[in-house]
Amino acid sequence: MIDIIQNTVDGVMIGSSYALLALGFTLIFGTMRRLNLAYGPTIMAGAYLGTYAFLALDIGVLPVALLVVAGAAVAGLYVERLCFRPFGEGAAIASMISSFAVWMQIEEAASLALPHHLNAFPRLVSGQPITVGPFFFRLDHLAMLAVAAAAAALVHVVLHRTRFGLGVRTLIDHRRAAELVGVPVTHTLTLAFLLACAIGGLAGFLIAASEAQITPMFGMWATTKGLIAMMIGGLGSVPGAIMGGLALGVIEAQAQWLFGPQVRDLIAWGVLFAVLALWPGGLLGGRQVAEQQAVQRRV
Amino acid sequence: MLQVSDVETAYGKIKALKGVSLSAAKGRITCLLGPNGAGKTTLMYTIAGILRPLRGSIRLDGQEIAGLTSAAIVSRGLALVPENRLVFPQMSVKENLEAGAYRRKDAAGIAEDIARMYARFPRLQERREQLAGTLSGGEQQMLAVARALMSRPRILLMDEPSLGLAPMIVEEVFSIIKSLNRDGVTIFLVEQNAHMALGVAHHFYLMEQGRVTFSGEPGKLAEDEVIQRAYLGTRRASA
Ligand SMILES: Nc1ncnc2c1ncn2[C@@H]1O[C@H](COP(=O)(O)OP(=O)(O)OP(=O)(O)O)[C@@H](O)[C@H]1O
Ligand SMILES: [Mg+2]
Repeated sequence: MIDIIQNTVDGVMIGSSYALLALGFTLIFGTMRRLNLAYGPTIMAGAYLGTYAFLALDIGVLPVALLVVAGAAVAGLYVERLCFRPFGEGAAIASMISSFAVWMQIEEAASLALPHHLNAFPRLVSGQPITVGPFFFRLDHLAMLAVAAAAAALVHVVLHRTRFGLGVRTLIDHRRAAELVGVPVTHTLTLAFLLACAIGGLAGFLIAASEAQITPMFGMWATTKGLIAMMIGGLGSVPGAIMGGLALGVIEAQAQWLFGPQVRDLIAWGVLFAVLALWPGGLLGGRQVAEQQAVQRRV
Repeated sequence: MLQVSDVETAYGKIKALKGVSLSAAKGRITCLLGPNGAGKTTLMYTIAGILRPLRGSIRLDGQEIAGLTSAAIVSRGLALVPENRLVFPQMSVKENLEAGAYRRKDAAGIAEDIARMYARFPRLQERREQLAGTLSGGEQQMLAVARALMSRPRILLMDEPSLGLAPMIVEEVFSIIKSLNRDGVTIFLVEQNAHMALGVAHHFYLMEQGRVTFSGEPGKLAEDEVIQRAYLGTRRASA
């Protein structure tokens, strides 16, 4: 029992970074209705910029964090210009395929910039875990949870208290109607894309700082974790992304404890298939799908 | 107030509007009738800046608006209540109204206008926290009108507001149109329900196959013939 609680706590802490990954992913999918496969590599590009500066200039961990977020946003802008802006409404497949091409391109570029497969990344915090009774908490995981929660709260405020956020929410809901009420669509989509990549960059920083290392494979890893967490929560749903990320973290932690670390990713994929088979709209998306069907019947 | 001259709009190679000219006078209700596929919705979307015309001019109070974005056009005081209402289905009634005021920055005025909408449409107040997608068709139509009014338009375009509504609700929609017009809003209305539309219109146009084929005041052309042409498009056989 104590183990199960400990696993859940660990899972929530790791899952908070998955939640951020999924949040960025879902902002892009929700507003554009397109899958951005280059999402993870965009984050990896930011992380590589951070680690490059760390290795070359020996800068502190906070400037590295800023560089990772800014780098991911700039790389995101590149992806948006190349894979999303040129294709009009509806060309979802063209966007997805070209985002795959950019993925490969970014991975190549990262390997050329830092030829070592494995590169050191600065830790955010270090020190002994805190123990409370039978439980213990890793400091870097606690920091991860705190930063992720603050970032998610900030995103919530932006979405619900600003005009830009209102525009994003209308675009997620109904693009044509958003245009009708006067939302500047292209501008809002670009900003939402940038915000999504910055959120992803923050998640990438938290994960790399906790692992204290980074490889070019991080791009693929981030895309798949973000995708799975987003799908568990419900495609394009903001609260769903958070729930999905936390759920994925907890399930992985329990599975790892039960079956060993080598099954962690296998379980993650298994969970994705199980969710898609049982609740095709995702855990929170399911309700929305039902409502959408009710809506469609009326129109 | 609104002047459309020689507007052509195409979907790919197919021209849906083949040189449309008409106008809507300030303070009046102008109505556009026409059979299915005549191009009425295409015209509404073109005026609202959602579709771009290939050529022609659209003037609002003398200023050219053809080619502006829909956002700029909303800011200039034109709002469209679209065909099929297009409310934000996953947002609450209240959020839909806030979205309608997207172009405005006067928070106090927006809150006041939301209260005004609730006074005008009490059903919306009762359901203000309900998701718009779960409202009845009539309630969604009221919401679509209220959302458009939230931008404080000087001219309101309405595309088939009676579509799919029960006769009693249709009566209600038309009485709202009349009362809005009494409050000084210029109205440009597309309708299939020719009988109801001619009851409120000061002026009307008939559109068939992408062209305006008749312009007049209700009562002058035998109503039966207008209704027949609006529904059946008698020109279609001879064109
Ligand atoms: N998105 C589109 N792509 C291609 N053709 C279109 C599109 N929308 C409309 N059309 C065509 O343009 C013509 C005019 O359509 P429009 O919707 O403007 O007619 P309407 O007068 O509003 O008809 P209704 O009374 O049925 O609403 C039709 O022939 C239609 O098939
Ligand atoms: Mg139409």
